[in-house]
Amino acid sequence: MMRYGKRVMSVMLSLALLGTSVSLTGCGSSKKAENGELNLFIWTEYVPDSVISDFEKEYGIKVNVSTFSSNEDMLAKVKSEDEGTYDIVQPSDYMVESMIKQGMLEKLDQDALTNLSNIGKQYLDPSYDPGNVYSVPYQGGVAAIGVNTDKVKTDIKGYKDLFDGSLKGQIVALDDYRAVIGMTERSMGLSMNETDKSQLSKVSDKLLTLKDNIAVYDSDSPKSSLISGDCNVSYCWAAEIALAMEENSAIKIVFPEEGAYKFIDNWAISKGAKNFDNAMKFINYMCDDKVAGKVIEEFPYLNVNEKAVAANKDYSENEAKNIPADVFEKGEFVTNLDTDTLKVYNDMWNKLKN
Amino acid sequence: MISMTKKRFREKTLPAAIMVGPVTLWLILLVAVPLIYILVMSFCSIDEFYNVTFHFTVDNYKHLADASYIKIYVQSLVIALLTTVICILVAYPFTYIIARTKSRFKSLLYMLVIIPFWTNSLIRIYGWKSFLGTSGWLNSVLMKLHIISQPLDLLFKQGTTVFGMVYCLFPFMVLPLYTAIGKLDSTLLEASSDLGAKGWKTFLTVVLPLTASGIFSGCIMVFIPCLGYFFVSNILGGGNSDVIGNLIERQFKSGNNWPLGAALSIILIVITLVLVKLYQKTGGDMDSLGV
Repeated sequence: MMRYGKRVMSVMLSLALLGTSVSLTGCGSSKKAENGELNLFIWTEYVPDSVISDFEKEYGIKVNVSTFSSNEDMLAKVKSEDEGTYDIVQPSDYMVESMIKQGMLEKLDQDALTNLSNIGKQYLDPSYDPGNVYSVPYQGGVAAIGVNTDKVKTDIKGYKDLFDGSLKGQIVALDDYRAVIGMTERSMGLSMNETDKSQLSKVSDKLLTLKDNIAVYDSDSPKSSLISGDCNVSYCWAAEIALAMEENSAIKIVFPEEGAYKFIDNWAISKGAKNFDNAMKFINYMCDDKVAGKVIEEFPYLNVNEKAVAANKDYSENEAKNIPADVFEKGEFVTNLDTDTLKVYNDMWNKLKN
Repeated sequence: MISMTKKRFREKTLPAAIMVGPVTLWLILLVAVPLIYILVMSFCSIDEFYNVTFHFTVDNYKHLADASYIKIYVQSLVIALLTTVICILVAYPFTYIIARTKSRFKSLLYMLVIIPFWTNSLIRIYGWKSFLGTSGWLNSVLMKLHIISQPLDLLFKQGTTVFGMVYCLFPFMVLPLYTAIGKLDSTLLEASSDLGAKGWKTFLTVVLPLTASGIFSGCIMVFIPCLGYFFVSNILGGGNSDVIGNLIERQFKSGNNWPLGAALSIILIVITLVLVKLYQKTGGDMDSLGV
């Protein structure tokens, strides 16, 4: 996911991609790979370029990459294109479930997934896709709390402490209504996917008490405000906090005692994919421990490849990157809300934002 | 008879079709069709997967009367109004000096207003964010000079949003004012002075009425974009001072409710039309809006 990297960056990257795709079509026929093509539709800054070019060399498959920066963008794009435009998509947990229900994904060829044993058991057979019939996990994370311990003396243990009056104007939070409302719900001991109207009106009241504490909503690069000192507390992805910790040793990560908002991004094959076999080869390739090792070196997210994690001590001992198993276990995925509840959540968010 | 129609076609219809055809096609495809699409969508609803379905409803519009939305409209209007007023107060004397100067740097000064336009406003706004931040340039310099001991907390306020809006939209106020002030006949000013009017009286009774059209069109061109510049309030305001543009953006992205977003867009279009109509009614010249 585009959990780090600025919007500007993504604009420049997409321009660069546009440039490369033009130049590729210019000399395309001569470079035609012997084993066909593969069309990826993936998150910006989420799969190392070196891994993709290694795959191309090893399998003789030409890979075309398109990127997106939110699940909703991805869904809209896949729907608006012809079926089979993209072979592989990379939806998060709740989006896998939604795409399965809408018949937008192909069942995976389980026999081709010889490397699946490298993936940690706790990430398999998830609630959003029982038995991993349609998806294989790639990377994930939780929304944790980053604290600049030089500036903040309050003892922060969980989401409920973010409502403390002493943190007035000090928090940078994800600009994501499910994340912020979900955090509020968990701080009250409720589910992030609460639908009960009377409970939700209590959540709305509680949410308003957070208003003065949040200085800025930022999903693109929340670590920037934490590093620059504009904010002393962050409610954002652990990976962002991991990067901030590398810049300033006073910054510490706190995993909420109530159980965190968690996510997993997955590999899946879109309905009508023209290069199904190549797609299966790619997914299996990404589950290889050496390949996952390269991913770990490049990205600070929670990697689900147990074998690769064990091989990299720097990574496995960094709990902001390699989220402890019990923290992940205690976390909760968001799920799709029914349309009436969606409206209640949106209204709550509007109230917070004015 | 046949040759007559042929001739008519060749001399009248064909040239007209060639001249007007492309523009008409352009307007239909890129203006009319999208607008109709948005209008239709605003009466649609969403299914359980948040897909837009063609099931007629006016719920989207009813929903827009909700108190939490009205608060954001009011907030938007306040931000837009403040921005417009500040733009007038700063741009008027500024433009007056540039437009009336006899200096040989006149065109250079004018260019200085235009040049920032060549850089994307999103990038310039990011620039301001790092300039104004706690560890930004401004605070660092002020601290080095011992003017302040604690960094100033400048970012993420409603005022910062207004500042960003003024910065982005300032040229839109300058350009129409420049035209209006440039057209000012200096003999009228001399006449006023000859008849004994003091400086401020000349300004109020001669200069201001003659340049009012420039002020009006500047106001329209600042006020309306203000309601939609969501990235300014997102980046500089920290997402704490939403304008209508933020509401629309949210419905189309994370909010997953395209019909509601479409209805909001229609409301914004209506507000715009009302303002332009008012402008016309008060004697505004559509040409000076550049539309």
